[in-house]
Amino acid sequence: MPGETFTQLVDAHYAPLYRFALSLTKNSSDAGDLTQQTFFIWAKKGEQLRDYTKAKSWLFTTLYREFLRVRRRAEHVTALEDLSPVDSDPPAPEVDIVAGMDAGLVVASLQEVDEVYRVPLTLFYMQDLSYKEIAEALEVPIGTVMSRLSRGKAQLRAALARKDARTVKVVPFEIHPGRKTS
Amino acid sequence: MKHEEAKFILNAYRPNGADAADPAFAEALEHARRDPALAAWFERLNEFDRAVAAKLGEVQPPSGLRETILAGARVGTPEGLSWWRRPAWLAVAAAFIVVGAVTLSLAPARLEAADLTSFVARDAQQRHMHGDGEAWSSFQARLAEPATRLGQKLAVNFSELRTTGCRTIRFQGRDVLEVCFNRDGKWYHCYVVRRADFPSLQAPASAEISAEGSVHVATWADDSHLFVVVSKGGAEALQVLL
Repeated sequence: MPGETFTQLVDAHYAPLYRFALSLTKNSSDAGDLTQQTFFIWAKKGEQLRDYTKAKSWLFTTLYREFLRVRRRAEHVTALEDLSPVDSDPPAPEVDIVAGMDAGLVVASLQEVDEVYRVPLTLFYMQDLSYKEIAEALEVPIGTVMSRLSRGKAQLRAALARKDARTVKVVPFEIHPGRKTS
Repeated sequence: MKHEEAKFILNAYRPNGADAADPAFAEALEHARRDPALAAWFERLNEFDRAVAAKLGEVQPPSGLRETILAGARVGTPEGLSWWRRPAWLAVAAAFIVVGAVTLSLAPARLEAADLTSFVARDAQQRHMHGDGEAWSSFQARLAEPATRLGQKLAVNFSELRTTGCRTIRFQGRDVLEVCFNRDGKWYHCYVVRRADFPSLQAPASAEISAEGSVHVATWADDSHLFVVVSKGGAEALQVLL
């Protein structure tokens, strides 16, 4: 290691894996570590995978499991799934507002979504995995993935709307002779 | 198929059309073709999903991560010890200077302090703006205090200043705070950025004064922040602050 195949695998997947890791850890440094650890596990065990067309799913699944393993060691977290009905069309920012937003703000909004929804939602927006592959990676039924996507999108719209409302709106003012403000 | 059921399914339809051939979506897509209201909803959903996916795609891994992964695979590791924590691995990692504290690395270009000073010098010549909030006014008072020597470490709670109403502008997609203050009847503009937001920023070790068009700027950095103070009073007006 690393052979040509490994290098190709890294080139093809390290960026999306890093994005997924960033949405999980909310921290660039931890996301980098998690991405490296995933490829290391591949280097040790991935060769056993006979069907290389499943390498992508294997990497995302492994990264997620590794995230859960490390976090379980650090703390006991219980993800509570909101079972209330989904508001199918909550207030949403206009598409052009999202398009005009800084990518960092959009990712920060995504990170405000509850983890149970954020994980499938991030995989969905990366567009690398189908809902069936997401279900396999997370080991949940297909219907659960669809439900979490629906709820996750509702939370994301609300978070984006909050971010848009919070965006600094600068108002010019007249200069007062006694006090000057920024 | 009911309207709400179709919406539920179509929420899982990827905006790049990768699921177009999946039979699980066929009925819901057909329903959308026949129902104008559902079609309009689906179009809005797709546009929204495309916009979010595009933004997520803009996030770039830290520079050096790829090389770190490949180099780490060469190093190997003993059982029970995470590979990136091994001394040999740390040496490799250090060589690539991987992963700064920046939350999102959106492929920033190599940035010199001069890029930032030119930007703030232009900004400082615009009209003055409102600000509000305790943290902000406290920072302004500290800057205005004659005993405060600039050009060295300044305690700044960046997040608090930003959220309590300090004027915030954007430079290369990152926040820059601006506070103006008065010393001996002269007005100055102090700009603050987090160094973690600009990992490639080349900052001067000690305060430097330079001319930027019709104004002068003093630039310095501490461990956490880079400061640029702009004055229209010439280099002398800045020199007395340091």
